Amino acid sequence: MYTHNGQDIFVVDGHMHLWDASPENQLPPHGKNWIDCFYAYHSGLSPADAKWPYEKFCQYGEAALIDDLFIQGYVDVGILNSTYLYEFYKNGFNSHHQNNALKAKYPERFLLNGSFDPRAEEAGLEEFRHMVEQYPIAGLKLYTAEWRQGSKGWRLNDPWAYRYFELCQELGITNIHVHKGPTVYPLSRDAFDVHDVDDAATDFPALNFIVEHVGLPRLDDFCWIATQEKNVYAGLAVAMPFIHPRPRYFAEIMANLLFWLGPDKLLFGSDYAIWTPKWQIEKLMAFELPDDIRQEYGVELTLETKRKILGENAARLYGIDPAVHREKLRRDVLGVHLATATADPAGAEAFPVASVQEHA
Amino acid sequence: MPTEAQSLLPSDIADRAIILERLQRVLDPELDESMLQLGFIESLHVHEGHATVALHMPTSWCAVNFVYMMAEDIRHALFTVESIHAVTIRVGDHFAAPAIEKAVNAGIPFAEAFAAEGGGDLATLRETFLRKGFLSRQARLLRRLKDAGLTAADICALRIGDLSFAGDTCLAPCAGRQPVEVGPADTAHRYLQRRADLGLDGSPTGPLITDLQDQPLTVERLEAHVTRARTVRLSLEANGALCRAVLAARQTPAHDMWFLGPIKSFQ
Repeated sequence: MYTHNGQDIFVVDGHMHLWDASPENQLPPHGKNWIDCFYAYHSGLSPADAKWPYEKFCQYGEAALIDDLFIQGYVDVGILNSTYLYEFYKNGFNSHHQNNALKAKYPERFLLNGSFDPRAEEAGLEEFRHMVEQYPIAGLKLYTAEWRQGSKGWRLNDPWAYRYFELCQELGITNIHVHKGPTVYPLSRDAFDVHDVDDAATDFPALNFIVEHVGLPRLDDFCWIATQEKNVYAGLAVAMPFIHPRPRYFAEIMANLLFWLGPDKLLFGSDYAIWTPKWQIEKLMAFELPDDIRQEYGVELTLETKRKILGENAARLYGIDPAVHREKLRRDVLGVHLATATADPAGAEAFPVASVQEHA
Repeated sequence: MPTEAQSLLPSDIADRAIILERLQRVLDPELDESMLQLGFIESLHVHEGHATVALHMPTSWCAVNFVYMMAEDIRHALFTVESIHAVTIRVGDHFAAPAIEKAVNAGIPFAEAFAAEGGGDLATLRETFLRKGFLSRQARLLRRLKDAGLTAADICALRIGDLSFAGDTCLAPCAGRQPVEVGPADTAHRYLQRRADLGLDGSPTGPLITDLQDQPLTVERLEAHVTRARTVRLSLEANGALCRAVLAARQTPAHDMWFLGPIKSFQ
């Protein structure tokens, strides 16, 4: 919960992870390369006082996550995006099985997102059905660049992907987060290309496609698609941290998104633990578009728009009523802890994650 | 010449100025910026006509197709220098470095070198980014023209030959007034260069501002065109900023020195 002039602002972190990239879990050589690449993003854009030592970045654990998101970081609900990467990490990077342990301990604090891989074809459809039956799956995170048995990626408009989208509709899974990223092969194809999102969004109008990282590095192509398709949304993870080292570019990115997509299709995401949410939220709340950019684009980043970006848009997509949910959060273990800590800051102790039991 | 280039080669190397000038022209096609200015060229050595270039990409995951293009372009650029008869490219800490180096250094085309892995012709990808670069360069020029006080009608009436240059400054006529300064000469030169790269009309009587089909823009179409071009410009520039930030962080060997505490900010 972020409080602005006595007004509560509901915060949904639309993109966060609990990963294990410890040396014990890495598979050579790409497990190390992968987390090193993330660490360069972390150190390249974080403010100095929000930078972590490399060892902590590889494996930070539940206590750090709870503190960074909910105790220090103003987040009310986190969307746990599952990223499997079994070819890089022995037990996976963060699977929905692992993420579900967190969801079970703090059921009101997380939305658990699963995934599918269309290359698993028929057998994968059954597995997908089981996942949705066995876990409280709220949405999906698709990673089209993931390696799998010699294949280095797939696209949302592949025929098998459509079979999975049909199943999503049948099972009532409507929110599909999409990450575009580099693949090795096929080499000539632009793996960042977002045009397949256009096809899928047109053919599945009942599904919502949240394109993570606003399609970066293809922000322009993403804007054209999201302008045309009512059901394409922008996930702001990676665009957000520009606010610290490159505020002018952040202002221009926001102005472009507001110009093309409008205020109702933008979703905050910290990309935790690449970046922690606290400074991103504080800086966003304090941010104003420079006058020349406001005039050039004819857009405003108002308090109302910030409220939508920080939580209301995501809450709408996931069917959460912020007022009702806020009451539930006041009564859960973290809500009780936060109330005590606010009443007596001097006597506050660290939140004891070990004492929290899993809910049935 | 930027300082990045100045520090790359000892001053007594034959053809030093030509070598740096040729390298300066090699772009990251995705960002439309010089690789030298981006800091992607880590070192350059020339020994008895044999040039060795070490690249340093922002991440070891940078897309293979783009890394190949850059490595190939550097090789071609250096072969245009008369005193250089051999070129070796090192890709550095990149997950596909051996495969890229092997292909590029032997002059094997991408499609052939990576045929087994679904490699194809990179021409379409190159063309896509040349066109994005065109819009981006044009957006910068349009911004300058507008800031200098030219109206939409002034801008649409401009011919290529109307631009004039005084030192590092570009000048353009503005209705009823003396020519006005419209920003650095480089902004206009870069735009005109890309028109030439794409085979668009570059004659002095040709219209200055056209779309990618070389159709002149009317006043009615100009604003919609500008709103798209500026988004392309932002997309390329923001990616460049991200690559620079990540490269700067990577050059700090933070993960070998984590025990020393927080590392210096990128700023």
